[in-house]
Amino acid sequence: MNGPGATRLVERALRCYPPRWRRRHGDEAAELAALLIRDGASAGSIALSYLVGAAREWLTPRLGPRLSTATGAVLIVACSLGVSAVLLASSAPARAALTPTPARGASASQAHGRVHCRAGSTDEGVPGVIRSMGQLPVMIWTAGHERSC
Amino acid sequence: MRVSGRDGRAGQDVLRRVGEASVLILISLADGPKHGYALIQDIKELADVELGPGTLYGALDRLERLDLIESLPADDRRHPYRITAPGAAALRVHLDSLERVSAAGRLRLRLGGV
Repeated sequence: MNGPGATRLVERALRCYPPRWRRRHGDEAAELAALLIRDGASAGSIALSYLVGAAREWLTPRLGPRLSTATGAVLIVACSLGVSAVLLASSAPARAALTPTPARGASASQAHGRVHCRAGSTDEGVPGVIRSMGQLPVMIWTAGHERSC
Repeated sequence: MRVSGRDGRAGQDVLRRVGEASVLILISLADGPKHGYALIQDIKELADVELGPGTLYGALDRLERLDLIESLPADDRRHPYRITAPGAAALRVHLDSLERVSAAGRLRLRLGGV
């Protein structure tokens, strides 16, 4: 690809860089691409190189090394807490399933229908309500032999 | 991270983790300032490596942040880059380190009879 098509392709790739980078290198990078294309380089490979460079530019932390490390540590802790919460939430129905019998007064549909789970905000007088620290209570209707959740 | 002869990092191989492109750029700039296109051409001749323009600018930015090169006033739209004194020192340390490893490798090859 040569001519305006190649120029357009490279310009689009250059637009992917952060504005700060474009202000500093944009014109020079476009001129460099034109020279390389003139020398026989393919516009596609140049655009791809700029795209990869742009991705790296967005992903490279601009914070100082210590601040980056601290931010990384906070992110890792936050992610770990999130995963733990999800694991706790997913294990709650399993524990609830071990709850032997429904309370008296459960409706017929609850007694014979499929098992349903839903998250709720209040403790209703429903069997199998489990509330663990920091998570929504999960109400479990158990009946018959079928269990889902 | 700034690298200079004054901050106690002299003698340490700071180029060990910057990547091949950055080392090639420093080697190319060792004999005088160059702009992007001249760098790509020189590195192609010097090491038979075709640096992509995206890789080139990434490496130039990294080296500039490390204070190993500096940008000179723009000539038309092109910014020539020049190696700094800490950059030259770091390159020397890195090349010495490569030489030691290379010599050890050659010696072992001979000893191993390969």
